[in-house]
Amino acid sequence: MSSSKKISILGAGQAAAYAASEIRKHDKASRITIFSEENYLPYERPPLSKDNITGKKNFEELSFFSNDFYNTNNIQIENQAVEKVDFEKKILITNDSKSQTYDSLLIATGSKNKKLNFGENNKDINNGILYLRNIDDSKKIKKAIQTHNRFAIVGGGFIGLEIASSIAQLGKIAHVIEMGSQLMGRVIPQKIASLVLDYHEKNGNSIFLNSNILSIKKTNNEYQIDLNNNNQINVDFIIAGIGSIANVDLFENTSLKLDNGIVIDEFCRTSVEDVFAAGDVANFFHPFYGTQMRLESYQHAQNHGIAAAKNILGLNSPYIEIPWMWSDQFDLNLQLVGICNDFDQEIQRGDMLEEGIIYFFLKNKKIIGACGIGIAGKVGRDIRLAGKISESNIEIKIEELKNTEIKLNKLLKK
Amino acid sequence: MSENNENWLEVSDESGIEVEDIVRFDHDNKTYCIYKLEDGYYATDGLCTHETVHLEDGLVIDDEIECPMHQGIFKIKTGEAISPPACVDLKTYPVKVDNGKIFISIS
Repeated sequence: MSSSKKISILGAGQAAAYAASEIRKHDKASRITIFSEENYLPYERPPLSKDNITGKKNFEELSFFSNDFYNTNNIQIENQAVEKVDFEKKILITNDSKSQTYDSLLIATGSKNKKLNFGENNKDINNGILYLRNIDDSKKIKKAIQTHNRFAIVGGGFIGLEIASSIAQLGKIAHVIEMGSQLMGRVIPQKIASLVLDYHEKNGNSIFLNSNILSIKKTNNEYQIDLNNNNQINVDFIIAGIGSIANVDLFENTSLKLDNGIVIDEFCRTSVEDVFAAGDVANFFHPFYGTQMRLESYQHAQNHGIAAAKNILGLNSPYIEIPWMWSDQFDLNLQLVGICNDFDQEIQRGDMLEEGIIYFFLKNKKIIGACGIGIAGKVGRDIRLAGKISESNIEIKIEELKNTEIKLNKLLKK
Repeated sequence: MSENNENWLEVSDESGIEVEDIVRFDHDNKTYCIYKLEDGYYATDGLCTHETVHLEDGLVIDDEIECPMHQGIFKIKTGEAISPPACVDLKTYPVKVDNGKIFISIS
């Protein structure tokens, strides 16, 4: 290994932090620099929609690693935005016009929020909408909830619902406006989406499905929102969670291949030599499914960053993890593993939230994915086992899957 | 039943408990998990150190316990947190089997 290999990491989120840590585990000599646009050490995001807002967790507790860790491991963090990347000369140009060379580059710039736009005439409405991506956003949302009572949440996906859950837990009201016929898109089974909807309504929120905003007026300190089905809601703040796109503006019109993010293979390699990508920004090839995909989840950001590090060091480590994510709303824990479309059978296991309810998605009698919901930790073990069963490619007997008396680890051992 | 000054509390009968099973034990407003591994019984605090979730619902693989809520991983024998979001170790406690019954020492 070259003694002074320069590895630059663009982005300072979870994939970046874990990549840097993993590189240092294997290689004590290379120079590692993380380029960060935020004034915080790399930190975890899940609590931003939940415990940070409800006050159970402080913003100071979110860092993955301490300052000491980066110093001890000789990982440099530069608080400079990168303005341009010259892939041919292998140079990064930061916004103070300085140039920095690299030997290997990891792009982990993450994703950014899609934005609502109510037109040129509604600039001040547009500018007043709150989004959630980072600590500063979460602080603004927390403050708004402390001082006001009524919120419109545009978008009934995980982020919108987690914020809505935090709002209800603080005794305020969230009106969730979702254009689809169910919450959480098409990936979550209808029955689970309905259970979640009931839970929100039981806790004081209101959910509008099949709904679009027809018009919106801001008068004094209130928004009047007219929906397409003759519903009108008046709120103090609008918070939007309408999805994300990969953060690739910097790479438009360069030699880097882009398509729903930075296109990479299972070794995190982009179309440019010595340039890698990981995390939310990457549209990666998954050998198990034989397809490209882009994931936005905690576990993926972490493990993809780790895989990228190994590949940067030439350790040839294909990333073949089965996707997994969770969403916590109130005391419910919802989990998703694998791929939950393109199935030919859907099997239900359990029928009470207190014990956990899981839907398994099968193709040719093999589990390809599962979605579960339960109070606290009730579905985690079986979801995790579903992932392992899926990985092992074994055929399943439907009756054994349905029967809660049969432990799923027995199916794995066959 | 007492050895030295350790305070052994009876948890349950051994029968019916399989390898990789977890037994929850509550005592004096605290809660614990007892695990049966290939080479014997071990015990840790019952609640994950990341969030207040009981590890009795977690997944045991070899000598590791995964929290069911966010998949933080701990080493059962030492309590060490080895995978985020878990980062604070679990306390461990001695376990013994006597006459077909499982005992935990929480002195």
